[in-house]
Amino acid sequence: MNMSFLRLSIWVYLAIFFAYLLGPLVIMSVTAFNSSAFPRMTPWECLTFQWFAELFQDQRILNGIKNSLIIGAGTVVLSVAMGLAGALMLTQVWPKLRATYYTIIIAPILIPGVVLGISTLVFWDRINRMLGLGADSVLSNGIFLTVIGQSTFIASYCMLVLVARLQRYDIALTEAALDLGATHAQAFRKILLPFMRPAIASAAVLAFLASFENYNTTTFTFGEYPTLTIELAQKVRYGITPAISALAFIIVALTVFFALLNEAKLKRQELVAAARQKATVEELAGKVRLPSFFAGNMAAVLLVVFAVATITVVGTATAYNPQQCIANVKEQKRLEAEQRIQELRKQREEQRKQREAQEAEQGAAQPATPRPSNNSGFGNVFAPNSLGNDGNESDDATPETDDAPAGNGGFGGVFDPNSLQGGD
Amino acid sequence: MPGFLKEFFNRNGTGMGLTILLLVLFWTIGLIILPQLSMLDFSFRPNLPPPEIGGPKDVYTLENYQYLVYGPEGGSQDYNSVDLRVFFRTLIAAVCVTIFNLILCYPIAYYLGQSKGNHIRIFAMMLIIPYWINEILRAFALRIIFGETGVLNTIFVGLGIWDTPFDFIRNDIALYAGLGYAYILLMIFPIYNVIESLDHNQIEAARDLGAPWWRIHWRVVIPYAKPGISSGCTMVFMLSAGALAAPQILGGPSSLWFTQLIYQQFNDNNDWPQGAAYAIVLLVTCILFVLAMMRLFKVNMGDIGK
Repeated sequence: MNMSFLRLSIWVYLAIFFAYLLGPLVIMSVTAFNSSAFPRMTPWECLTFQWFAELFQDQRILNGIKNSLIIGAGTVVLSVAMGLAGALMLTQVWPKLRATYYTIIIAPILIPGVVLGISTLVFWDRINRMLGLGADSVLSNGIFLTVIGQSTFIASYCMLVLVARLQRYDIALTEAALDLGATHAQAFRKILLPFMRPAIASAAVLAFLASFENYNTTTFTFGEYPTLTIELAQKVRYGITPAISALAFIIVALTVFFALLNEAKLKRQELVAAARQKATVEELAGKVRLPSFFAGNMAAVLLVVFAVATITVVGTATAYNPQQCIANVKEQKRLEAEQRIQELRKQREEQRKQREAQEAEQGAAQPATPRPSNNSGFGNVFAPNSLGNDGNESDDATPETDDAPAGNGGFGGVFDPNSLQGGD
Repeated sequence: MPGFLKEFFNRNGTGMGLTILLLVLFWTIGLIILPQLSMLDFSFRPNLPPPEIGGPKDVYTLENYQYLVYGPEGGSQDYNSVDLRVFFRTLIAAVCVTIFNLILCYPIAYYLGQSKGNHIRIFAMMLIIPYWINEILRAFALRIIFGETGVLNTIFVGLGIWDTPFDFIRNDIALYAGLGYAYILLMIFPIYNVIESLDHNQIEAARDLGAPWWRIHWRVVIPYAKPGISSGCTMVFMLSAGALAAPQILGGPSSLWFTQLIYQQFNDNNDWPQGAAYAIVLLVTCILFVLAMMRLFKVNMGDIGK
């Protein structure tokens, strides 16, 4: 196979793949700015920011965000603590127990979230009953149950993140601290914890995000404290509005912002480290110049562009008034509707005419037989012709006018009593 | 006190050791093992109003499991064909989603793992960003695309390819696309991690010896990446069989997912033991299926989750 063909097909594949991955998010974000009441991209009506205003007036969404933050904070504390303890235990557990222990603490990742939610609910309900507490005790509180249920599996994620860093820890550092007279708690706080800080930070972020977006477990345990995800799910299931797109757009924008920020920071650290290696002592003594933040740092440039774009959009949003456009669209819709009504009216009119013609024909055929010499009988001969024209051609106005003289010419000349008289 | 515990406390100090031990015990026993056992126990009990729990009627019974197989007692049918069909459909669909994801993600993971450069980091970022967006919102995004007046239908009807809008939701295409979409990352990262550590010289050597590209993958890359592939497949299978949000939002009105039946038992029918029994059936079947697949493809349990 040709190498360049292979390369091309890889790029095409990548393009399709990322279109599948990112396309839905882009489309969803775009629908947040369309004034159509149903979230859609086409037909585009008006650029509007009304859905954001609607979003911030929605009490249920705001309440959901509040509950999500409380539950997220609780989950971060509990699962990072349990994850760290689990990771420490894993490094020093009795070797024969190690495989079993590892299986147990990794299992919650694979257990379906639905099952975790149910088991948490059932278990704490039973404990609650055994202790003889009522239905409004702490143990059956939605926030408590949700934190417990989510921590069950989020702690496993935290443990995996933490154990990766813990494996690089030199236990001799703790031993040295102990030899120098530190207590175990001091050695933990002053030696191990600072070493683990980056991993703890990423575990905490991971735990918060996992808690914030969890649905499967929370849907069984939330009780009277619906989180943002629960509220969203209920809204999406029973009718969707662009206000949800607006929320999604905010989340997408925040995510992109923090991802770029993180990337820019990492890149900068790399660049600084590379510069240090090459630089002489004098250069190091000098200040780091500000533009170097951008030099060779794509992410930083993108970040600035992104920030400027955000400010522009927010600026336009406050100044921009889409009322005129919305009114135009409404007017256009009204015109379209009117046109449709007129078409309908026309159709009805036609049908009515047809029916009348038919009735007239039938009505004429019966009296025509006893009095064949009647003039009105001949006049009705033309009716079938005009009926035929109606069936063949949609707009009946022109053929009728065209046919009428021709019909007069064809038959009228022969049957006209005057012409007969004239023949005499 | 056994030697292991004594050594543990010597190493960590009494206070620290006790804290660690208590946290780990709370997690493993209080949060993982006991709730699962409690659910298992609960699934064998009849559905009783709270005052009767612990009373003479509260005995072990198989009726919740019998209900899944035979349907309600005195029912017109021999088997509970509705629930059983949903159950098997869920499993088969989860397998299909897993295979689809594997085929879709393997080339990407291979490409990311074997090529070097700055753009790889940007690709990685683009992979992670969708995963940070709420699960519900991702399903919602797909619903905008696949809806009757959605983007796809507008395009295809506009181009004149179809005369009438195609109902993606009723035909479950939206559901499968949504499930596949949700777990792409979980398939890519384990495979990527393994392939990244594969020495490129091995591929070069195979190429020098005259192997065509498909044989290089079949004989060199895939055997090497087997642990990654199996953990990716395990995660995607378990999560899509246990998914609830995507089927609720993207599923057609006539086709249910097994987790939706569990949800109904808990929230609509208020029959917790029945729901717990269904959950146990789902969990045990999925675990057995994964173990059987691992036996079939000769993968060790220890390789998973690395």
